[in-house]
Amino acid sequence: MTQPVLKIRNLSKRFPVGGGRVVHAVNCVDLSIMPGETLGMVGESGSGKSTLGRVILRLLEPSEGSIEFDGQDITQLPKGQIRRLRRDMQMVFQDPWSALNPRMRIRDLIAEPIKLHVDLSRSERDDRTEDLARRVNLGSTYLNRYPANLSGGQLQRACIARAIATDPKLIVLDEPTSSLDLSVRAGILELLAEIREETKAAMLFISHDLGTVRMISDRIAVLYLGEVVEQGQTEALFETPAHPYTQALLSAHLPADPAFKVSRLVLEGEVPSPIALPTGCKFHTRCPVAIARCAREVPQAIQVPSGQQASCLRIPNGGNIIQRKEDV
Amino acid sequence: MTLLKVEDLHTHFISRDLDNQICIAKALNGVSFSLEAGRVLGIVGETGAGKSLTAQSIVGLLRPPAKIVAGSVRFEGRELTDMPDAELNRIRGNNIAMVVQNPRTSLDPLTRVGDQLVRLHQIHSGGPKTASHKRALEMMEAVGLPDPESRAKSWPHELSGGMAQRVLLAMALMNSPKLLIADEPTTGLDVTVQAQILDLLRSLVARFDMATLIITHDLGVVAHFCNDIAVMFGGSIVETGSVRDVFAAPAHPYTRNLIAATPERFQMGRAKALGGQPPDLYNLPSGCVLQSRCAYATELCQTTVRNAEVAEGHFALCHYAGRLEEQPAVKINA
Ligand SMILES: Nc1ncnc2c1ncn2[C@@H]1O[C@H](COP(=O)(O)OP(=O)(O)OP(=O)(O)O)[C@@H](O)[C@H]1O
Ligand SMILES: Nc1ncnc2c1ncn2[C@@H]1O[C@H](COP(=O)(O)OP(=O)(O)OP(=O)(O)O)[C@@H](O)[C@H]1O
Ligand code: SF4
Ligand code: SF4
Ligand SMILES: [Mg+2]
Ligand SMILES: [Mg+2]
Repeated sequence: MTQPVLKIRNLSKRFPVGGGRVVHAVNCVDLSIMPGETLGMVGESGSGKSTLGRVILRLLEPSEGSIEFDGQDITQLPKGQIRRLRRDMQMVFQDPWSALNPRMRIRDLIAEPIKLHVDLSRSERDDRTEDLARRVNLGSTYLNRYPANLSGGQLQRACIARAIATDPKLIVLDEPTSSLDLSVRAGILELLAEIREETKAAMLFISHDLGTVRMISDRIAVLYLGEVVEQGQTEALFETPAHPYTQALLSAHLPADPAFKVSRLVLEGEVPSPIALPTGCKFHTRCPVAIARCAREVPQAIQVPSGQQASCLRIPNGGNIIQRKEDV
Repeated sequence: MTLLKVEDLHTHFISRDLDNQICIAKALNGVSFSLEAGRVLGIVGETGAGKSLTAQSIVGLLRPPAKIVAGSVRFEGRELTDMPDAELNRIRGNNIAMVVQNPRTSLDPLTRVGDQLVRLHQIHSGGPKTASHKRALEMMEAVGLPDPESRAKSWPHELSGGMAQRVLLAMALMNSPKLLIADEPTTGLDVTVQAQILDLLRSLVARFDMATLIITHDLGVVAHFCNDIAVMFGGSIVETGSVRDVFAAPAHPYTRNLIAATPERFQMGRAKALGGQPPDLYNLPSGCVLQSRCAYATELCQTTVRNAEVAEGHFALCHYAGRLEEQPAVKINA
């Protein structure tokens, strides 16, 4: 059996913020990603998506738990060795404008990771750079330009070229299409799908856009206040969401089609602060089907009939399903 | 009488380059639409299409070098484009309210939110201060801010994005506007909060019988919250009609691509056909603004395009509107 590229266990990340207060950004997360698999991670602002992505790549130090990459426990690996691992694990950020050094030409930006990680002669490196640019559909005329003279979509292509330059085994993409227009977004998603096909790289695709995540992901993990409340195969999760939060989140998504009837479950209030996490089930302050127990007991992940894992106390008796009133 | 009628609006950025030559960016090129009380119109289009500029032109909030060079904006029959500032200010405060694109920057960071609401009401409606205060609490309640009394004492930085957006809406409602313009009212908010704000907007429209213009790049918002849609590209409205008609049978090639690029309809392998460079506003082609990236373009497209009615109330700015399929084979972008 093939082993996962990434396996994280009980991973937590806390930020002390002075006055003895602590931000609980990521709480006891278990996840794994197989080679060639794309895991979509959704959740609202502040749910810990970016923090988790950074901890996985060891750009941030975990507070607790373990990270296994390609069969190797990298939780405690010293910084120097992590740097060598970078060729196998890359990241693409939301904002392509600030991700690239504005004073470097696109050509040199794409060549940079090759220079750092791969032993190639200068001319081989140049060839590879041009290959990569072609690969991401960036015309060679752009290679001599500076970032300021490219559009957002073109810049994001350059970022993706950098990320795939060293044939990584894992690419973490943090909202890679959120700042782009629809038609440009479509092109980037298509490119990512092709790259996945060719390189069999595993991807962690972070986004708050459910439509996009659904298109690109094999599996989906839903984060709420730093916890994975539900994860499973994309279609199962979209068709029969088990966790009340997933149900509300999916129902709030508005498909771009007026013929599509939406019956929404509008949640009351806003997400609580990760500094003062609610007790018991962290969703109980907003959950429409919460019962008294929910404020005391921490739910464990259990498998539901449609195959996903979800953490809700009411799953065993079916009380987790929120009744909808048809509207819109 | 139509509440808002915008006709053939042209807004340009006029500046001088290093050689002191006049340069003109033609950012709005003949925008026309109208809006009735109780209706919600959604304006969509890619970044830079001129959505915000359309709103700014309507309410007279253009900053130099932007300038309306032609066209008319009539509100309740009165022309706004050449109205003296003082009078326009009064209309803007009393009858037209605008929620701008970035909530953070439109609240005064040094004034408690309640005081900002009161101040706004005092400027435009006058009356005793206690009445303004009461109104402020009512509007905060109306936009679903829990515990308005204590919220009124908050500083802007203490508000979450969703709350800041609600405060802005409360501000917009203070003087019971007849027209509400909301520029990206839900962008950057979480989907569950977005849902709350949109529900709120919908109930406010019904309750106050406002006409509402929502600017967004989210077709989902348009599909489910607007009655009518206007699709902008390169400073022109290229298609308008009821949401149902336009989504069911988009007539303009740009609208077709926009809708085809939504996750619901997007098919892998088609992306290249969908995107392209935005037009250069300093150097617009003669004829259709889309011609360099339109799969249907022919030589005819280099000539002036007129709005064609493809069905009742459904217009598209394309030479081949309504007959794209039977259009001749000589394509220039093949
Ligand atoms: N360096 C830090 N110090 C203190 N708190 C932090 C730090 N970085 C992140 N946080 C907090 O941790 C929580 C999780 O943040 P994170 O950026 O991971 O969320 P996210 O899910 O990526 O949100 P978004 O969708 O807005 O990008 C937030 O409450 C954030 O304020
Ligand atoms: N000072 C300026 N000189 C020339 N052109 C300008 C100037 N300021 C803005 N523009 C152009 O005016 C056009 C209209 O901008 P507008 O803000 O209306 O776009 P928008 O449709 O609201 O886009 P977004 O979705 O990004 O908010 C843009 O193409 C922009 O580049
Ligand atoms: S455990 Fe209780 S509060 Fe948590 S999601 Fe389930 S029903 Fe809601
Ligand atoms: S007028 Fe021509 S270029 Fe313009 S949208 Fe129609 S077919 Fe395309
Ligand atoms: Mg983030
Ligand atoms: Mg705008």
